[in-house]
Amino acid sequence: MAEIAVGIDLGTSNSCVSIMQDGEVKVLDNAFGERTSASVVHFHEDGSVEVGNSAKAKVIHAPAQTVRSAKRLIGRYHFSEEVKKAQAVYAYEIVEAPNHGVRIEIREEEFSLPEISAMVLREMKQIAERHIGNKVTKAVITVPAYFNDNQRQATKDAGRIAGLDVLRILNEPTAAALAYGFGMGLNQRVAVYDLGGGTFDISVLEIGKDIFEVLATCGDTFLGGDDFDDRIIDLLADDFVGKYKINPRNDPYAYEKLKLAAENAKKALSIDEETFVVIDEVMKTEEGETLGLERTITRSEFSQLTHDLVMRTFKVCDEALQQSDLTVRDLDGVILVGGPTRLPMIREAVTHYFQQEPRVDVDPDEVVSMGAAIHAASLVGEAPDSMLLDVTPLDLRIGVAGGLAEPVIERNTPVPIEQTRTFTTFQDHQESVQIRVYQGDHRQADENAMLGQFEFSGFNKGLRSNVKIDVTFEIDADGIVNVTASDQATGQQASTQITLSSGLAEEQMERIIEQDVAGRVATAAKAEAAAQKQIAPITISGDVPGATAAKVTVVEDSPFGDGKTDLSGGCDDETELGDVSEAELDLIDDDELIQLTQEADMDIGADGITLDMPADQAPDDDDDELFDTSGGDLAGPEIQLTNEEK
Amino acid sequence: MNAAIDPLEISALVRIMDELDYYQLLNVGPKASTTDIRKAYHASSRSFHPDANRTLNEDLRGHCGNISKRITEAYCVLRDSRRRSAYDSKRAQGDSLRIQIAEAKTAHVEQRKAEARGATPQGRQFHAKAESDLKAGNLAGAIQNLQMALTFEAGNLGFKALVAELRERKKASS
Repeated sequence: MAEIAVGIDLGTSNSCVSIMQDGEVKVLDNAFGERTSASVVHFHEDGSVEVGNSAKAKVIHAPAQTVRSAKRLIGRYHFSEEVKKAQAVYAYEIVEAPNHGVRIEIREEEFSLPEISAMVLREMKQIAERHIGNKVTKAVITVPAYFNDNQRQATKDAGRIAGLDVLRILNEPTAAALAYGFGMGLNQRVAVYDLGGGTFDISVLEIGKDIFEVLATCGDTFLGGDDFDDRIIDLLADDFVGKYKINPRNDPYAYEKLKLAAENAKKALSIDEETFVVIDEVMKTEEGETLGLERTITRSEFSQLTHDLVMRTFKVCDEALQQSDLTVRDLDGVILVGGPTRLPMIREAVTHYFQQEPRVDVDPDEVVSMGAAIHAASLVGEAPDSMLLDVTPLDLRIGVAGGLAEPVIERNTPVPIEQTRTFTTFQDHQESVQIRVYQGDHRQADENAMLGQFEFSGFNKGLRSNVKIDVTFEIDADGIVNVTASDQATGQQASTQITLSSGLAEEQMERIIEQDVAGRVATAAKAEAAAQKQIAPITISGDVPGATAAKVTVVEDSPFGDGKTDLSGGCDDETELGDVSEAELDLIDDDELIQLTQEADMDIGADGITLDMPADQAPDDDDDELFDTSGGDLAGPEIQLTNEEK
Repeated sequence: MNAAIDPLEISALVRIMDELDYYQLLNVGPKASTTDIRKAYHASSRSFHPDANRTLNEDLRGHCGNISKRITEAYCVLRDSRRRSAYDSKRAQGDSLRIQIAEAKTAHVEQRKAEARGATPQGRQFHAKAESDLKAGNLAGAIQNLQMALTFEAGNLGFKALVAELRERKKASS
């Protein structure tokens, strides 16, 4: 029998692992019999690491040593809104790494986000190994459909660090649709409403027997169950302030207690009409007086508090339906995914919006990992074929003069896809061009996620317009982006290929993995030992990482836990970029990039790209002067890369 | 998975891929309906999508990847009526067998804009007269001039739509 490949739903709040065995999908429970495990990592004083539900219980006592919701931070820049928000609410230390990357510092050790996620993945891998009684090395890992390239690449890296060969990065809603329709011979159009802990996705699919074609996907990576909790936390905290004139939000211990109470209240309100929150001790005064909190929350109160959040999801649904050219009447089914969709108010709102009852026959917490397991089995030839035809969720853009970004591949384009744009130099004898790549829906470059930039200088110098440079943008089936520049004139294949995504540098990956083999990662030490005493021991062949001390991994010079993505691009001395590259790195200031482009054009002649297209095709009228309106050959709009020196 | 496709066929296809237009690539006729195009995309994906070819060697997988990407491109253009018409006119002119997806969109907008203004000198002339009639509030004059424009460009949908709209307006006002 071939090796079993697992499906892992790596969630913001909880993770879940499934396998397909003997034609059946099984959700695997952990050593405690729980079918989902908290995506929480707790670092013990002795350096050992605990993962899962028992780690989550440590949040209240040691919030600064317990990392949760790491998925909200993975693949993000330190200056991003999400990271700022996390810094405000999480007690663990979020620090900046070189190139605006994010590190988590615990007990004076720094961890990249892929490393933290790898600890959760390792836990899921071990759960599967315990069940199968054999090593697990192959997995399909799911991500929110709306994840950008940086986030996908970082998740893939996490898989590798955890010792997994990641067969496919699969979109969560697509996985859910597969679990719903696999082997049923359906001919249906369905919507997957996926409200997770930290993100919201909606995908519209057409299922034709074993073909699952995504027609459109839209999402909001800033909207999830956590936001619903936050509303209850605010309610409780305001109450507390009213009563004692002390703000519990400023005390990490108090905050974690409120957070836990809010989560429990939310769950209770899924079942009961009202719930009574009692916290004996939120915090102590300096005099040692215990300050507690009691409050009744009703379902209608909660629903009022979060009404706007629910409405926000339907705005996104409107968009997805419009993009797929359908109305709610065209849909044969609505599938719910994610814990928050258990809330009766969400179910009611969804029923109302889609004008039909959503499907509730699959557990919304498990359906994604089940779909991932089906796909994993199919990829290793252990399940009947099913084709997943997915799309890219975001516009892929190239930076042009004036701080703008022009789309090259639009969102909801099927993948894998490749598009080539021809560029020409703007100046005679120009030596190099700058290519910046973004993902997002905004015309303003800096409102999008920057995937990276690079300088291309390997081409033959010549008169402008004689030099033709092909820049090829590729999005693979994992949704991961590759950009290649090559010189058309010489026909040389000596192109500069750069994986712009923010994966760990190969060298660093190897180092991390090596340390892992040396026994660095990361198991629920004590909990696991205790659990294995209770449960009949299962022999697992191969090296199973034991409970050992975590070691510091030194990571330098890169945004997301790596040294690879040097955002400054390969600016060499010849182009005299010096100061610019440093300034370019400063993406924090909104005005910086635009200013920089201008500055570069004027003073140093670094970059700036001119799109050559007829003026009335230029997206905004007032930007016409940015575009060179001459020429324009029929083979497609030609883009000019400038490197002017004035 | 179901990579029942002959490796020889893969190598052959990747060699001639650049000489095939989107219809040939998807193996459908130039009059194929959107449904047929979607079906053809599904069938081709079944053979060439990266998920379908994991058991092949690296070279063949690379070929399949390239074919798969081109098939997606063809599907993207042909499934959308506006992009498809832009592609069809480009293909008819013998320019190229491929079109940038983004270009197909703008090309279509251009086509529509040009059509709205008129494709012949006389058509453009009468259309311009109709426009100045409209500015002056002369509905009847505008309709008359557009009808003249239509005698030179009987198939101009933009003119037709405008005449119809003006007639409605005239009816409503009288």
